[in-house]
Amino acid sequence: MNSDDKDIQYDAIGEAGLRFFGKVSASIAHEMKNILAIINENAGLLEDLTFAAQRGKAIDPERLNKACRQFTKQIHRADGILKNMSRFAHSVDNFSGQIDLHDLAGLIGNLAGRPAAMRKLVIEVEPPRSPVIFTTNPFLLENLIWLCLEFAFAATGAGGTLTLSPVQTDSAVCLHIAGIDGLAGDFAARMPVGYEPLLMALGAELVADVPGKALVLRLSC
Amino acid sequence: MRVLLVDDETEFVTTLAERLTIRGFKVDYAIRAHDALALAENNIYDVAVLDMKMPGTGGLELKGLLEKLQKDLRFIFLTGHGSEADYVAGSSASAGYLVKPVNIDILIAKMNEAVQI
Repeated sequence: MNSDDKDIQYDAIGEAGLRFFGKVSASIAHEMKNILAIINENAGLLEDLTFAAQRGKAIDPERLNKACRQFTKQIHRADGILKNMSRFAHSVDNFSGQIDLHDLAGLIGNLAGRPAAMRKLVIEVEPPRSPVIFTTNPFLLENLIWLCLEFAFAATGAGGTLTLSPVQTDSAVCLHIAGIDGLAGDFAARMPVGYEPLLMALGAELVADVPGKALVLRLSC
Repeated sequence: MRVLLVDDETEFVTTLAERLTIRGFKVDYAIRAHDALALAENNIYDVAVLDMKMPGTGGLELKGLLEKLQKDLRFIFLTGHGSEADYVAGSSASAGYLVKPVNIDILIAKMNEAVQI
């Protein structure tokens, strides 16, 4: 990679990258707040039950068990979220690295899960027939997929399933983002700001398969 | 006091409802806006405690729909977000705006204040 290419990548990361990082962080913070709220209520309930027991009221063991199960469930939920957050945070460690596209699409699918759920959308990631592994800038690709999903959210409206499918052909690596109701040939005019520099930096191309209701992200390899 | 709790986090809303019931409140809860509206069509509430961010119909929008059913209903918003924009929107449209996790004593104080307005 020459210095001009790096300049393009730095520019692309700029505002769009920070906005992307901020949105993901805010979404994670919101989910963690919800988890803390559940743990807080269950801890409070145990206090309530203990207080009642100190005044002679019997405690239902099954109610204690239920609270314990909720603690365990929320701890696992938080652990999953923080693992995703850690992977995402470390994706800026290197400008270039080998990635498994199914793995990376899964990470973005997970990170976008809550924003999708707010629109009653579900994101699914289909495994490829064989692993799709290539070298790219992981953070820029994550940002580009995120922007494609933001477009898909807006185009699809409320309700539905978006499917991310990595595909490898002889000439290119592709990511299909399918299930986009409302996709039209002029999609580029409605894509979020910042996607073009990312395409350029990654040497990628984004096309619409209108009948298939899919965006196809063709990546160089 | 009759309370309507609405939050898409089932385990949060059910446990908070249980704790408020222990303290003598009459509580109904819903995890979706349309269930909340169905409850409000058939029951009179003093206070609605709404999550700001829910799939589909969010707290602010739900408040407008509930007000059409019960004009005297008071509102308290809960949120996991701490953004300035949410605070401005939530605090100006309600009797209370609390960030999760919530201290139940503060929530109850806000509910009591709300019904006295």
